Amino acid sequence: MEPEVVEAELVLPTHMKFKKIQMYEKYPKGQARVRWKHLKQIIQAENYQNYPPDVPNYVNIESPPSMRPCKRICDVTGYEAPYFDPRTKLRYANAEVFKVIRSLPNDYVQRYLALRNAAVVLR
Amino acid sequence: MPFISKIQRQSDYSSFSSTHPIVIDNGGSYFRIGWAGENDPRVIFRNIIQRPRHKITGETITVVGDHNPALLKYFDCTRSGPRSAFDSNVVYQFEIMEYILDFGFDRLGADQSQINHPVLITECACNPVQSRSKMAELLFESYGVPSVAFGVDAAFSYKYNQQLGICSNDGLAICSGFNTSHVIPFLNGEPVYDACCRTNVGGYHVTDYLKQLLSLKYPHHMSKLTWEKVEDLKMEHCYIAPDYAAEVRLFQKGDKKAEEKTRCWQLPWTPSPMEEVPSEEEIARKAALKEKQGQRLREMAEAKRSNRINDLENEIRDLEMLLQRLRHATENDIPLILAKTVYISKHDVESALAKATQSLRKAKGEPVESVEKMDPSSTEKYNLINVPDEMLTPEQLKQKRKQLFIKSTSEARQLKKQKQIEEELERERQRKLEEERRLENPERYLEELRAKHRDLSEKVEQRKKLKTNGGQTNGNHNASGGVGRGERLNPSQRERMRLLTTAAFDRGKGEDTFGAKDEDWQLYKLMSKDNDDDDDDKPDPDEAELARISSRLQEIDPTFIFKSESGSSSAEPPRFRPLTKEDFQIILGVERFRCPEILFNPNLIGIDQAGLDEMAGISIRRLPLKGQGLEEKITSSILLIGGSCLFPGMSERLEAGIRMIRPCGTPIKIYKASDPILDAWRGASTYAAAMQFPQQTFSRMDYYEKGEDWLQSYQLRYTI
Repeated sequence: MEPEVVEAELVLPTHMKFKKIQMYEKYPKGQARVRWKHLKQIIQAENYQNYPPDVPNYVNIESPPSMRPCKRICDVTGYEAPYFDPRTKLRYANAEVFKVIRSLPNDYVQRYLALRNAAVVLR
Repeated sequence: MPFISKIQRQSDYSSFSSTHPIVIDNGGSYFRIGWAGENDPRVIFRNIIQRPRHKITGETITVVGDHNPALLKYFDCTRSGPRSAFDSNVVYQFEIMEYILDFGFDRLGADQSQINHPVLITECACNPVQSRSKMAELLFESYGVPSVAFGVDAAFSYKYNQQLGICSNDGLAICSGFNTSHVIPFLNGEPVYDACCRTNVGGYHVTDYLKQLLSLKYPHHMSKLTWEKVEDLKMEHCYIAPDYAAEVRLFQKGDKKAEEKTRCWQLPWTPSPMEEVPSEEEIARKAALKEKQGQRLREMAEAKRSNRINDLENEIRDLEMLLQRLRHATENDIPLILAKTVYISKHDVESALAKATQSLRKAKGEPVESVEKMDPSSTEKYNLINVPDEMLTPEQLKQKRKQLFIKSTSEARQLKKQKQIEEELERERQRKLEEERRLENPERYLEELRAKHRDLSEKVEQRKKLKTNGGQTNGNHNASGGVGRGERLNPSQRERMRLLTTAAFDRGKGEDTFGAKDEDWQLYKLMSKDNDDDDDDKPDPDEAELARISSRLQEIDPTFIFKSESGSSSAEPPRFRPLTKEDFQIILGVERFRCPEILFNPNLIGIDQAGLDEMAGISIRRLPLKGQGLEEKITSSILLIGGSCLFPGMSERLEAGIRMIRPCGTPIKIYKASDPILDAWRGASTYAAAMQFPQQTFSRMDYYEKGEDWLQSYQLRYTI
């Protein structure tokens, strides 16, 4: 290891004096990695639907959908978008932007759609 | 102002007694660790790890937090981006969490066999019990922590600001963090989770949105738009528009105010070398150098010429002397004299002398007498021409043919010369005529000449354009370059194809009049394959005329600029536009307020949840205890916490938004936390320093005896 890297203590030591169980003991090399449950799985495992509804939990404190009319903005410029292009499914503000979106390659269109979670996701 | 991390190792760990709690604010973006009762955390770093591979040894190592990025050059980071232990605001990846805790305790200076201090660590509101229990297990099992307490960062922050007198006992904490935003009402100094609400939008989403938008807008500069840089841009430039629609209209109209609000980030850019115009003195220097070199060459040539003249003069003198001697010598002596020289006869010497004199003349630059002048022997030369073939031997016949050839070529040469002279005379005459006209009316003449020049240059350019790219006439004039067959051929080839196809399909249509006119046969010339080659060879008369006129103009018109260069370059479309400063600018216009707008309108990024202002209304609505007085009390003490509250215009926008929800005349007071980012740790620190803190913790024994149900209902009392 290069001296400057050692000096900066960039690398986390594998052995820590203050630990009762070391990392290498807990997660030995070569062993299959622990599959940590994602938040979705954690929530599912918690069975929140069985909990009393009046007690706050991670799921029921979530905000409900907005009651306001959905704001539609131009996907490219951010201007107010009165129009919608049925081909690309993008919202646009004016003729100039329309020209732009029609000349966009498909992956860019998909990326713009992905920004507002509207892209076609192939599974 | 990017947050600065503190990762120096602390040395005073052993000076703290084992009852002194360690306080950890385990935030989505930053991890802060320090001692209870102190004002600032000892160690702060980004809550991420990286596991790159060493380039030489191939060893996988762990890097926690943010370090000098220059040091990472020794590691191959391509397969390991920064990773976080968080999913949304819940810790789920405890392997990463353990690395982070290792690093945190290590930098705090821990050097005993275990962490023998109570630990207060923050978690999100209503943390799933699984996450909470795993965290407790980790602290008890791996680090040997004697007791643990969990608290909510927003609550600590609110309490801290309450102690500072910024907000009151009853109020509302609006906490916009890294992964999520919470609104938590407080009654009697305690958070009411029943009424709190969470939207999964935070600073992370703002940065990500900005990053995505900019990389879509500037695909060429994608590599410059690193997460860290975009985060910096966000903190420096983003603001919250008081009214998004009105603000965006300013930009749409191209208003002056919008121009002022537009920010520009200039990427490092060096002008390409070919764009540099040589300076005045550079040109002068070059010219001087050229002049000097020319002078030297001229001198050399001059020396050579004088040498040659000298030589020739010497030779002539020798030859003359020799001739004189020969003339005076007797017939018998001649061979004797000549034996010493290379010459065979007197005649030989004479011819050598003549040759030398001629060369001398030439060297001196005197007009050389035409060698072509009819020498008397010419009649002899062609003596066989007029003799009929029958009277000649085969040898003589050959001779005759040769003579005929020589004669015809010499005559042709003569004729050509004459023609040239005539042309010269004609040109001279025209020049004189023009000069006269010029003298007569210089203004008009110049005008005429200019007009002619313009016309001609246009014509020539047109033709060149046609030859190279077909100009705008092909209908499909997109600059990106079409891909059809017609695009690849040059116009003359295309014209040829057209002629061929019309000829092929035009058969038997109407009366066939082909050949009636002489021009019809031109078609074959146009159709022939080598047609476009031959007109490249011979110079175009128009071009010659243009060259003549422009040189003439150059002579008499000082304002005339000869632009043959620009003409030829404009004929060919510039395919690679030289990159300018503007190409390396990243303009932040609408993005400045479009990105933080997602905090108020999460549906802009496809999250169907209420925004910050609406959340406040929902939270108040969810309060279990109703009563006008209470709601008013709460709205008059709203505290803004969290990194995303640092956007300028946040409180104004929130106030306007909440005012829309609440009944008319409701008192609304919005306060900013004293330090929206560090207050959570500070609050936790003061809390842990309190005498009653140990009662709020639970030990390893409690954890194993009381079980998960108890852990789920475990909650700190913030008022102690």
